[in-house]
Amino acid sequence: MAAIELRGVTKRYGDVTAVRDLDLTVEEGEVFGFLGPNGAGKSTTINVLLDFVRPTEGRAEVLSLDAQADSVAVRERTGVLPEGYDVYDRLTGRRHVEFAMRSKDVDGDPDALLDRVGIADAADRKAGGYSKGMQQRLVLGMALVGDPDLLILDEPSSGLDPTGAKEMRDIVRAEADRGATVFFSSHVLGQVEAVCDRVGIMREGQLVAEDSIEGLRDAAGGEETLVVTVDAADESTVDAVRALDGVSTAASDGGTVTVTCASDAKTRVIATLEEGGVEVKDFTTEEASLEDLFLHYTGDRDADPADRADADDRDEGVSA
Amino acid sequence: MSLEAVARKDFEDAVRSRWLLALSAVFVLLVSAVVYLVRPGEGQTLTTGQLLGSLYIRDALVTTLVPLIALIVAYGAVVGERASGSLKLLLSLPHSRADVVFGKLVGRTAAIAVPIAVGFVLPAFIAAVGPLRLQVGVFVGYVLLTVLLAAAFVAIAVGFSAAVASNRLAIGGAIGLFFLFVPLWGAVQFPLRLYFVVGGAPGWLPISGQQLFAALRLINPTGSFKIIAGEFVSGALFAGGSGEFGLSMEVAAFAMLVAWLLVPPLLGLWRFERADL
Repeated sequence: MAAIELRGVTKRYGDVTAVRDLDLTVEEGEVFGFLGPNGAGKSTTINVLLDFVRPTEGRAEVLSLDAQADSVAVRERTGVLPEGYDVYDRLTGRRHVEFAMRSKDVDGDPDALLDRVGIADAADRKAGGYSKGMQQRLVLGMALVGDPDLLILDEPSSGLDPTGAKEMRDIVRAEADRGATVFFSSHVLGQVEAVCDRVGIMREGQLVAEDSIEGLRDAAGGEETLVVTVDAADESTVDAVRALDGVSTAASDGGTVTVTCASDAKTRVIATLEEGGVEVKDFTTEEASLEDLFLHYTGDRDADPADRADADDRDEGVSA
Repeated sequence: MSLEAVARKDFEDAVRSRWLLALSAVFVLLVSAVVYLVRPGEGQTLTTGQLLGSLYIRDALVTTLVPLIALIVAYGAVVGERASGSLKLLLSLPHSRADVVFGKLVGRTAAIAVPIAVGFVLPAFIAAVGPLRLQVGVFVGYVLLTVLLAAAFVAIAVGFSAAVASNRLAIGGAIGLFFLFVPLWGAVQFPLRLYFVVGGAPGWLPISGQQLFAALRLINPTGSFKIIAGEFVSGALFAGGSGEFGLSMEVAAFAMLVAWLLVPPLLGLWRFERADL
């Protein structure tokens, strides 16, 4: 059974197409990471699922209900952390959760829920005075009210510090273990790798990839980075490494040799170094990072590493 | 129930607004001052009905201040949440857009009923200790009618608030409606009366000048309120034409207030249902 099913969904605003002919299926019980840079159409897609906006073309089903015609029934069984929300400044955290409980017609202990998201001590404070991270925790708490069948979380880790982001991932895991389907969007990639069964990558309103993390990694080439610590490497040995099958780059600063290669070429690289009279003291391998995969799919694969580092900083800047 | 949940949340939110607190304080002070000032001289008594029906309270206070408070408190009811983003929080929960519009109408009306009730309770004490004979029934009834007037203006503001996409349009609409229904109406009423009642209606209209003027008077919620409140305070409401107006005029005035209560929110909802948020 599909928890979310989009068929040919297109959303146009004037002559801007936010989402173009999107087909997407998320199975029940899955944790699905919805990736893409800002402006790729992730939030528009989520807004269609929640009936905040109506698709120009196509059809969206959530929990086998029409996302537009049966939206209230969808939202009775769904917990949502929307993007670009605001809390009610004058109401306390507890009143927010009480409101969510009354809205969903469930009895429960608001304090227990606030404790679960880590803001129990702020329950009696007005939410307007909360930090962004605390507001994010509060709204996550509201989303968890009534043990929903589906959780839709739009950029859940924005505003959270690393501890908060970790707690968020733990909650996502726990909800998935309970049997809930989790659909969440992110441009912070580490988030997704840790918790998702499957991911979809959006770019310019279209889904450009949909697979498991492993599958994506293979599809992106499956290259690894091998960092070898040596006593001293001369240029001719590094040239010999570079000439090996399966090796795409090799560079040395004397004390370390850094090689990008297919995973089955690693032993040949070490052997070639030793044959050239270089003493290998240690080596580590790094798999292709999700960041690289992501850039590969979003069309930025030629960006040089310095630019990527900048991009990382920007991501953190946005999410901080 | 969904509408009730929205109304309750909105009431809790709105009663904590500084605006509402400030406007309530002004209202309470003014009503108290009027009650104190219109106190009769030594040896005379004044009935509650006479006091409430006096121009001081009915025209100067209730029909200018109550619409103003209602419009200020309610103009942002929907569009304000849309602008800030809290509407996404609200609609993430299982509420229909109709629940939101009518929940807001109920919640904001309840929030305004608080200062109206308080505004009349304090003067009631002043009246009770003075030489004025307090008729509790008339007093409570008048407060309820005032809440009905407030509800009509809340309905207009909420309807507007649901229909437009920006706060600025909602403020403009609220200010425009206030000036149309309160000062402007007051200014043109006398010339219109002369023109239509004395001079008669334009020939192409199938009704008399008297009827046309009556209709114009009914259309304005404050006009309908004045008719009903005046009759109620003098004990003539629905009493078969024993007061200033006939029964049909009283019924029409009531129907008009109910229409104001329902039609603007429904029109606003019609636009709101079709909007992308």
